[in-house]
Amino acid sequence: MKEWRATSSLSRALVVGVFGVGAAVLFGEPVLVVLTAPFVLAGALGLVHRPTAAPRVSTRLDHVALHEGQGTLSRLVLLEGDDVEHVTRVAAASAYVAMHPADGQVGRLLGEGPPDLELSPRRWGRRMLGEEKVGLHTRWAGYRWGPVSVGGQEMRVLPVTAPFDSRAEAPQPLGVVGVHRSRRLGDGSEFAGIRPFQVGDRLRRINWRVSLRADALHVETTRAEEDSGVLLVVDALADHGRSGGAEGAASSLDLTVRAAAAIAEHHVRNGDRVSLRVVGRGGERVGYGSGKAHLRMLLGTLAGMRIGEPRGLDTETMQFGVTGGTVVVVLSPMLAESIGTATATMVRRGLPVLVIDTLPPGAAPAVADGTDPVLADLAWRMRKVEREQVLGRLSTLGCPVVTWRGPGTVDDVMHRLARRAQQPRVRAR
Amino acid sequence: MSPRPGAGQLVLRLLVLLGPLVALLATGLVGAVPADWLIALVAALAVAFAAMPDSPFGTAVMVVVLAWWGISLRDGLHPEAVIAAAGLVTAHVAAVLASYGPGSMPLDRAVVGLWAVRGAAVLLASPAVWAVATVLRDQPEPPGIWVAGLAAAFVATLVAAVSFQLDGRP
Repeated sequence: MKEWRATSSLSRALVVGVFGVGAAVLFGEPVLVVLTAPFVLAGALGLVHRPTAAPRVSTRLDHVALHEGQGTLSRLVLLEGDDVEHVTRVAAASAYVAMHPADGQVGRLLGEGPPDLELSPRRWGRRMLGEEKVGLHTRWAGYRWGPVSVGGQEMRVLPVTAPFDSRAEAPQPLGVVGVHRSRRLGDGSEFAGIRPFQVGDRLRRINWRVSLRADALHVETTRAEEDSGVLLVVDALADHGRSGGAEGAASSLDLTVRAAAAIAEHHVRNGDRVSLRVVGRGGERVGYGSGKAHLRMLLGTLAGMRIGEPRGLDTETMQFGVTGGTVVVVLSPMLAESIGTATATMVRRGLPVLVIDTLPPGAAPAVADGTDPVLADLAWRMRKVEREQVLGRLSTLGCPVVTWRGPGTVDDVMHRLARRAQQPRVRAR
Repeated sequence: MSPRPGAGQLVLRLLVLLGPLVALLATGLVGAVPADWLIALVAALAVAFAAMPDSPFGTAVMVVVLAWWGISLRDGLHPEAVIAAAGLVTAHVAAVLASYGPGSMPLDRAVVGLWAVRGAAVLLASPAVWAVATVLRDQPEPPGIWVAGLAAAFVATLVAAVSFQLDGRP
């Protein structure tokens, strides 16, 4: 109702007042005037403050893109509100969005400013805020406007990036510029060795101490420094376990997304080119790139990915187009056979592949109502046995599998991958 | 699951419930004790009013109380009427506060303070009218005073009705 209407309070005051005064006059009972005089006064004051303007209300979020656990304000914008004395705002609860006041209901005098709601998303993803109802009252509660529905805004919640820093170098850097030590010698700052001077060597590379001792010019050689390509493969086929939001228990997708965000941020900060491929219903992908804008794009894609099994998912379609010089990080609970097969294929091609196991320890399957719990438990155990077999086979192929534990999770594995990359190998085709 | 009402809302509902009952039973102070069925009727209407402060039950219960005061104390101008008026105004103000939002909405202290002041201010009209009526009671009645009073009440009703008809058109 986007118009002013008399309230029940005004009608009550007027009816009681008129009835009392009328009866007092008709029956000569002044006591009725004593009883109803306050109502006559209240009704008259309600009528006097009859509104003349048509207000307009809307809501505005201070931030539409946030990280999990961060907070923002949902502001009520009120135009043409000169007649308004009291504002009531009631917001419906949304999944994984905390509100203050907790029940989303707030009413206050407009003189203190329009009532704002504090919002804090507790889980990554696209969060649709619940519908709100706004009601306005004039002075002396004579007239009410609304309640009208407003809101329904969407908030994009980026995954929180756990503090992650790896000191390990990339296994196969193959780029132009960067911070990783290259396999080839070049113009860098990392000392590689000393060799006799050759035509074309830079004079500033001459090591005079060794040259004097050897009675021949010698120069220092350094390793080139290059960036590395990192492909993040995110398994969004299903979500296992229960998510408790930013501070609660983590589901498999929570661990996957947060780990992917942390790894992406680390590598982007180091100047590496990072790419993302989501194996899920949406099939989202982000090409190689670096820089802050690229990181925002990666996090936004992670936040907006659609979960579920895509149509026609097979190993043929799961070609990630990985080239040499790229490290592949597969983040998955490894419960889908297709992901395991695709990972094994990349390992056989000789690519440095790292699997981050994101199945939470206490994860249990979501069972439909009416399912025999014994049967469901048996099925889950069989699935976990199959998962162990897949992980075992990947380990046999030489693919390291680590459980995500936050900072330092991949350090040791990356060191080993880097050492292995220096050695000659035979590729299986 | 809807949130549970807070302590403030429960106090408001209690005031809405007790106000009409206090106003009704105030006649007992001057010897006119209401019948049990009347007390039960007012209690039932007051419960409905407390549960639904926006409903017409509030008007109904107050009209019943006023009728009882007019019938039980014929030509009586007792100071206890101010107590009854206080009960009715308290119930009315509490209902106004309760009808500002859902039953679980927490009360804002500034709003409660404002309406407490407003309630007290309009309630002052009650002892003032009582004092004037007591002073003028023994005075000779001017001719046509009741007709003039009736005409004033009619005009007031007309103004209110016209105002309601124009309602919604700013």
